[in-house]
Amino acid sequence: MNIVIPIKQVPETSNVKMDEETGTMKRDGVESIINPLDLYAIETGIQIKEEYGGTITVITMGPPSADKSLKEAIAMGCDDGILLSGREFAGSDTWATSYALSEAIRAIGEFDLILAGERATDGDTGQVGPGIASWLDLTLSTYTSKVVDIKDKSVIVERMVEDGYEKLQLPLPALLTVVKEISFPRLPTLRGKQRSRKVEIPQWNLSNLKMKEDFLGLNGSPTRVVNIDHPKVTRGGTVIDVRNDASIEKAVSQLIDYLKSKELV
Amino acid sequence: MKYNPVTEEILMELTKIVGDKNIMTDEEKIEAYSHDETPAEQYAHLPEVVLTPNSAAEIAQVMKLANRELIPVTPSGARSGLSGGAIPDHGGIVISIENMDEVIEIDYDNLMMVLEPGVITNNVNEMLEESGLFFAGYPMSVETCYLGGNIAENAGGGKAVKYGVTGRYVMGLEIVTPTGEIVQFGGKRVKDVTGYDLKQLIVGSEGTLGIVTKATIKLLPKPTQRVGLLALFEDVETAISTVPKIMTAGRIIPTSIEFMDKLSVKTSCEYLNEHLPYQKAGAMLLIEVDGNKEEVVNADSETIGELCLDNNAIEVYVADNHTTRERIWSVRRNIAEAFKVVSPHQSLEDIVVPTANIPKLMPYLADISEKYGIKVPCYGHAGDGNLHATLVKNPDHSMEKWYELEEEALLDLYKATKELGGTISGEHGIGSKRKKYMDMIMDPVELRLMRGIKKVFDPNNIMNPGKIFEME
Repeated sequence: MNIVIPIKQVPETSNVKMDEETGTMKRDGVESIINPLDLYAIETGIQIKEEYGGTITVITMGPPSADKSLKEAIAMGCDDGILLSGREFAGSDTWATSYALSEAIRAIGEFDLILAGERATDGDTGQVGPGIASWLDLTLSTYTSKVVDIKDKSVIVERMVEDGYEKLQLPLPALLTVVKEISFPRLPTLRGKQRSRKVEIPQWNLSNLKMKEDFLGLNGSPTRVVNIDHPKVTRGGTVIDVRNDASIEKAVSQLIDYLKSKELV
Repeated sequence: MKYNPVTEEILMELTKIVGDKNIMTDEEKIEAYSHDETPAEQYAHLPEVVLTPNSAAEIAQVMKLANRELIPVTPSGARSGLSGGAIPDHGGIVISIENMDEVIEIDYDNLMMVLEPGVITNNVNEMLEESGLFFAGYPMSVETCYLGGNIAENAGGGKAVKYGVTGRYVMGLEIVTPTGEIVQFGGKRVKDVTGYDLKQLIVGSEGTLGIVTKATIKLLPKPTQRVGLLALFEDVETAISTVPKIMTAGRIIPTSIEFMDKLSVKTSCEYLNEHLPYQKAGAMLLIEVDGNKEEVVNADSETIGELCLDNNAIEVYVADNHTTRERIWSVRRNIAEAFKVVSPHQSLEDIVVPTANIPKLMPYLADISEKYGIKVPCYGHAGDGNLHATLVKNPDHSMEKWYELEEEALLDLYKATKELGGTISGEHGIGSKRKKYMDMIMDPVELRLMRGIKKVFDPNNIMNPGKIFEME
């Protein structure tokens, strides 16, 4: 069972601060981590490998520093990493990104399964996984919540749909995008970390991988960001602080006074 | 000592001092001020009135009135304490510092910060986030506790192995004395031997010598790199015997060495829906190193990790980013909370022994567990020799039996701790919970001197009376 897992390096956003003037995120000192949902894809891949054997290749597109995320995945139990990195990829949208990743996956060689997180916390599109499936003409299961079995050159999965679960059998090779229900990501081990430090991560780009140049980067991206607008706060809002049981009554009377002042009660 | 009740006239006078928005007498409202995190049915006591003053001047006036009328006053922070320190054992007035939560100054030139006591400890570091500085206090209740409470209890926590406890970072204190004077001890001076160090006397005095109204704390440059290790061991003995070796054989002072036994990890993981492979392990160590160079911090963590494996660790996990570090720390931080949910009847202990003696303590815990037929889960700051062994009521025992047995079991535990050169509280304090054991653990001369100090500060014994020790 050869598994490929495309992952994304995203900014750690639990403590994120926004620059109020530009409306962009303050990236200084913000740590980069593996996209949280991708961890579930990695865990699923490792569990499949433990049961059925095989190798796992993780692949990402990003700056040279993104090799840190690949090494983290290797420390968790993946085998190899490939980094797509170069100026030609800068500004890629989901169309260009999934194209570049699919060409790289093609170049890796034979594979049975591609596992991806359902979406990334930063772009939040959920398009790159299905995009790769489309470029490579693979069967696809999105929102996969369980891998039931792998047999007879097919994978049986459950996927979450609005009113329950759907059970699908997909011929291999297939691409699954996974949701949190599928597994609990393990932590990387010391031995895994040590191994990952020794693994050489090859860097691929136009110089050593055949791709259509005009499909890459900003030029290859049909998406155009015309304008970034952030919603204007039209109502200021009044925050009434209720920090403990004792201040509830005070807060309620403040609220009533406020409503009265607006002639709402 | 007989105290006087809070009369209608006194209430009117108090209202004049703090304003009618900052005084509470309804039982429903003041109930919250009758307990901390110790079991309420054992230790809770209602105050007669709760005040939420806004300044040191108001507190000073209240203290003068309380002295005149002989009314006990109990200072109160976030009430996350674990020894009953903020409980008004004799009723009277509770002064809650919750409204005094201003940051007065961040002094980048001196690496110091001046704050009011009601600032939540975690907020201090959130405010410093962008400055590259940090406050090294890290009690496990960091998300709710107040700086003032940290000072009153000399809070320790998860980083004390390397950074020490709260007191190390207290440079200056403005306090209101029990007799109602406002006084400044210390200041922004790194060195100061001008007379007795009264600010350090206030640190850890559990609100018996005054109320902190302003604190000057020292800040440190924040390390940019942190790596956490979670080492799984077959049993408690193997895990604990590794602790002293990290510093002696590894020659590294980590930021933290936290210990968790199987029951603690299991309870916390179930509470958090965390799926660490805890079934495999009888005990775990959470070790963290920090620094500014990635290579150095990685090398240190690897040295420690190898040392754990050499000492028969089953597995060592590495958490070197925010996601993974938060995962392992969350398990540690939530143990106490998780136990409270599972079993509200327990005695959360805070014994401390010289670090090299930690392995010797473990058999005593097993003995107590067997002798009394109770579970004694154990976790805590192993790197400081400070362990939160917890006596948990056996569900088959009646409450009467539990109270009886709790006292005997505690005595056994404290005797064992004393034998090993330890004492009964490392960071939670004595409060009302442990005061009856003070005679057993302390030299009578030391106790006499402490009572003398209390008398000088508080001649009428109205400031948090009955805490730490009785006056006679």
